[in-house]
Amino acid sequence: MTPTPRVTYMECVSDVANAQHPTFASITEAHLDDVYRYLLYMTANPSTAEDLTSETFERGLLRWRRFDARRGSAQTWLCQIARSAALDHFRSEERRRRRELHVAVRESTAAEIELPDEYGPVLRQALRTLSAADREVIALRIVLELDPATAGRVLGVSPSACTTRLNRALERLEKKVRPRLVA
Amino acid sequence: MSPDLATALRAQTPTASSNLRERVALIAATAPPGRRSILPRRWLLLAAPAAAAASLLVAVVVGLVSSSSPPGQVAQGPVEQTPTAQVPAQPRAMTPVPSAATKQELRAPTPAPSTSRAQNVNATLRLLVDNTSDLSATTQQALRATRRLGGYVVAVDYGTPDASEGTASLRLRIPVSRLQAAIVRFSGLGQILAQQTQITDVQRRLDELTRQIRRARGNKTRIAALRRERMQISRRAAYATVGLDLTTQEPEKKAAPPSRLDRALSDAAGVLTAELAVGAYALIVASPLLILLAAAFVGSRAYRRYADQRLLERA
Repeated sequence: MTPTPRVTYMECVSDVANAQHPTFASITEAHLDDVYRYLLYMTANPSTAEDLTSETFERGLLRWRRFDARRGSAQTWLCQIARSAALDHFRSEERRRRRELHVAVRESTAAEIELPDEYGPVLRQALRTLSAADREVIALRIVLELDPATAGRVLGVSPSACTTRLNRALERLEKKVRPRLVA
Repeated sequence: MSPDLATALRAQTPTASSNLRERVALIAATAPPGRRSILPRRWLLLAAPAAAAASLLVAVVVGLVSSSSPPGQVAQGPVEQTPTAQVPAQPRAMTPVPSAATKQELRAPTPAPSTSRAQNVNATLRLLVDNTSDLSATTQQALRATRRLGGYVVAVDYGTPDASEGTASLRLRIPVSRLQAAIVRFSGLGQILAQQTQITDVQRRLDELTRQIRRARGNKTRIAALRRERMQISRRAAYATVGLDLTTQEPEKKAAPPSRLDRALSDAAGVLTAELAVGAYALIVASPLLILLAAAFVGSRAYRRYADQRLLERA
């Protein structure tokens, strides 16, 4: 018979307290992959996603005192911060591209999309053709498995609008994926 | 959506690298910044009840402070003070008499006109009589007394609209030398409600006329005119005008002064009403601006969302 591990009373109290008032370190550990995957889908670039993940947690640390678990889960809160960081990134990229257009140095947006090999050739190629908006809703609803209301909250739209966006994005994705799988 | 696609999307999505984990762990190990005193949004949540409490407190304090001082009472002298003989008097309102307790005080002799100087004297007396029959008898007595004192009646206005109510207004001319006796006699005809005596000195004008007559030697017309004026003034000053008002209606009794609590509540309610009025006024004035600001805020937010979505669709 294996001995039952002894858990002290203080450890129990600490666990309950952490569940009610989680620490920043604990939510970082719990949701790092979620944030990274979300940003990877949005940016379709692993290095950019890593940088933005790091920035997301930096911003989260600065705003940690304002986090209120009653108003939403830590995952939703972090996704909102991550989205804001990604939008800032896209804006700065757009400004950079505009500046470069002035000096006639055109750079394809597709060249920045470097999805990792884990996706496989078919899915990677299909995801490259989708817009960041489509990839974002797929990431939230399919990969992170958020419900429509929570995903809509991150996106700033209603649950029904979120579902509509998801259906359209998946439709476009399947159109790209199916012929290749058949082939 | 095919379930295979969803499974593939979930399974094939990579996780964070160890390098990223280390970077984020370093960030998480940093102590979060200290709590700010109070967040602006919470300030707003606190400000509304605090303002309401402050306005209520102000109203209560004002109510208590104002109620601690006695209600404004006008000093009511029994008799109108007579102006000095040398200074021309200004017309004054009748002094109301609160009760019969001051009747004896009122019967005290009124300020006597000077015997050495010419003065225009006006006295007014307001008396309460029991009923209309008493009113008639009192009016008769007043007229008889006037004649006995060597005076005469200028006007009488007697009226009884119904059996229970009636008023009589007498305008009498009494020799100045008998005015004191007349006032005393009239005072005994009923309960005094108000009394006023007004004395205007005209001796200076008489002296001036005398000097002008002396200077106007030979100018008979002017002298005659000046003498006529002097005569008129002397005649007017020889008799005092007495207004005697008799009535059967008792003056309305004053309402009992409110208690301190009533006054405090009333004052507090007044302050609160004033505060509400100021608040409503400020709201009305500021509401167009607030509506514009709210519309601008909502519009900018909607535009920002639209712009974000477009940005993500382009990316």
